[in-house]
Amino acid sequence: MASVSSEKTRWMRGPSTPLRGALLGLLLERPGHGGDLANRLAARLGETWRVDTNDVYRLLEQLEKTGLAVSRDEPKRSNNRRTHLVYHPTDETSQALTLWMETLLPREAVRLGLQAKLSVARQQDAPRLLIALRAYERECLVLAHFVSPNDGEARSWAALCMDCTREAVYAQLQTEVDWAARTRQRINEFLARSQ
Amino acid sequence: MTPLLSFLNVSKRCSDGGREVLVLDRVSLEIDAGASVGVYGARRSGKSTLLRLAAGIALADSGIVRFDGRDMAKMTAGERGRLLRGAIAFMSAEDWRANPGESVVDHVATALGSEGLTMREARRRALGILDEVGVGAAGAQEVATSLSLTERMRVMLARALARKPRLLVLDEPAQMPNLGDRDRFYALLRSAARERGMALLVASEEMAALQGVGVLMSVADGELCSTEEQGSVVRLPGLGLARAERSG
Repeated sequence: MASVSSEKTRWMRGPSTPLRGALLGLLLERPGHGGDLANRLAARLGETWRVDTNDVYRLLEQLEKTGLAVSRDEPKRSNNRRTHLVYHPTDETSQALTLWMETLLPREAVRLGLQAKLSVARQQDAPRLLIALRAYERECLVLAHFVSPNDGEARSWAALCMDCTREAVYAQLQTEVDWAARTRQRINEFLARSQ
Repeated sequence: MTPLLSFLNVSKRCSDGGREVLVLDRVSLEIDAGASVGVYGARRSGKSTLLRLAAGIALADSGIVRFDGRDMAKMTAGERGRLLRGAIAFMSAEDWRANPGESVVDHVATALGSEGLTMREARRRALGILDEVGVGAAGAQEVATSLSLTERMRVMLARALARKPRLLVLDEPAQMPNLGDRDRFYALLRSAARERGMALLVASEEMAALQGVGVLMSVADGELCSTEEQGSVVRLPGLGLARAERSG
C-alpha cells in the first residue's frame, strides 16, 4: 500500500468514504448534478447500497470543500431558464481516485470499499485492485484462523449454538475468499486477453 | 534449520482439453517439522496439484520442491516411491483401495509390508494404531469394503500413521455427510500429528474443515495467500516454523 500524506487522504475518513470515492470515479467519467450522480451511483452499486439522494448532495459538498469537485450553476436541459448545480472533477480528482484505489484504511468496511472501488475502477487501476483484493483475501484467512477450533460433538445447548455460530463465520469468510479469488482471476484473465 | 518441505518458485501446468492451464505460478513455501498447514481452495483451484507435488507424486515444471533438503526432481522414481511409503504419507478420500473380503486390520497391516515384520507382528501393531484412531477390536475385524466414508477416513489415517511418516499430506478429506464426524476426525488428526511431531499439509474446499491448523493458506489463480506475513517467518507455539509466500 502506498504511503501518503494525511492531508491527501483526509477525505477518506469516515464511513461514507466508499461513496465519496465512487462519486469521484463517476465525476471523472462525466460531470453531473446531484440527482444524476445519485441515480448513477445507485445503478452502479445495485441493491447492496441504499443510496440516499440527500446524502449524495452532502457528500458532493464535502468533496467540493476538499477541492476534489467543483460545482457550477448551469442551465437545465429541460428548461433553459432554470439552472442547477452541476459537479465537475478538478485537477486533483484523478490523483485522489488513484490514491483511494491503493489505500486500505484502518477500520474501513473493506468489502464495501472494494465493491465501491470495483464499480468505478479504470483499467489502469487493475494493479491496485489486485493488491487490494489479495489483502482482503488474506484478511479473511486471518479472521478464519482466529476462530477457535471445534474439537468434537457439542455436549450442551450452549456448545451447539457456539458451533453453529462458528460454522456461520466460516461460511461467510469462505464466500468472501472465493469472491476475492474469483475477482482477481477475472481481472487477470481480462488483462491477459487485452494484451 | 532445514525446512522439512520447501517449494521454491514452483510452477506447474496442466492440460485442460486442448489448452494448457498454469495451475501454480512461481509458488514458494516452507513447512518445518511438526508444523500444520491448511490449504483452502475452491474446486480446480490447484490445491490437489500443490499436494501431489508436495508428496512427490507429480513433479514441478519449473522451480524446486525439496523434502528434508533433497530435490524431489533429482530423486529416481524408486526413491520417491520409497519416500511415499515411509517419511511421507499421502491420503486422499478418493484413494481408498481395499481388497475385496479384506479385514480392516489386514488392510492396515499390509501397509507395514516393507518393514520386514511378520504378518502377526504387523497385525498387532495395526490393532494398536486402529485403537488410537477410535476403531476398536470389533471394528478391526470388519470387512474393509463395507465401511462408511467416516470409518474409511479413520482407517486410512491408521494406515498412514502405521508407517510413522514425518509429513502427512491429506487431500480433500471433507465431504463427510455429518459435520460432527468431520470435526471429530479433524480433532483426531490434529492430536495425532501433535503427539507424533508430524507435519500436516491438509487441503479442503471447506474452510471449516481446516480449523485449528497452524497456518491457513488459500490457493487460487496460481497464487498462494497465507495467514503468515509474506516473506516473514513466524514461530508457531509448539509447532515449529511454517512460512508461505509467493515470490516473483
